[in-house]
Amino acid sequence: MKISDILENLEGVTVHVAPREGVEVTKGFTGDLLSFVMGSAPEGALWVTIQNHVNVAAVALLKEIPLVLLASGRSPSPELKDQCQREGIALATTDLDSFQACGRLHAMGVRN
Amino acid sequence: MIQREVKPLDFLSAGETASDFKETLKSLGIAPEICRKASIVTYEAEMNAVIHGGGGVIAMELSGDRITIVAKDEGPGIENVSLAMQEGYSTAPDFIREMGFGAGMGLPNIKKYSDELEIETEPGKGMTLRAVIYLRD
Repeated sequence: MKISDILENLEGVTVHVAPREGVEVTKGFTGDLLSFVMGSAPEGALWVTIQNHVNVAAVALLKEIPLVLLASGRSPSPELKDQCQREGIALATTDLDSFQACGRLHAMGVRN
Repeated sequence: MIQREVKPLDFLSAGETASDFKETLKSLGIAPEICRKASIVTYEAEMNAVIHGGGGVIAMELSGDRITIVAKDEGPGIENVSLAMQEGYSTAPDFIREMGFGAGMGLPNIKKYSDELEIETEPGKGMTLRAVIYLRD
């Protein structure tokens, strides 16, 4: 599924860093403990979290996460936005909380 | 062998050593699964140095059938290594926990993703961690 389609179909989305054209994702993961995400997220999954600081980009980069979705309307720190831009990681906020966002994503066909 | 310095409480560059090592291994044609293990081990060692070690040095060596990652710091050391190896045990302060670190998964993750692990430490005298990842199972 294209990241751009996911972002279009999810409610209350603000895109901070747009996805690169045609990038697709099939898996998803959620968590706010960085070491947990580091150890457990499937490679290449999209990541739903409420953490909005710069180290989110470091974890996303290492896990080859193409989309970070900040839940509960959390805004990214300027450093996080810059880093995602530099590394080509799509970054968006949704007004939905993590549970609701994962429910919608699952219904769209994103699994882990 | 490549080596990088990690600065204390520098969350802005934290993770750079791990992605640097991962890119190096990838460019050498190492299998993605092995690159992933090495980068997780490096990331956790890096965060330990950033959070607890007062900074440190992390080195990676590729030789023969293995990758060896050595992290060395001159921080406070680990009082009880077997306790620190338990998932969920952490001595990180609250502001670190609020960032989603300090969940007590650093050393357990390093153990989980490495094939050999040795930690030498003495309270007040820093710590040296040596993790080995085999290139083949």
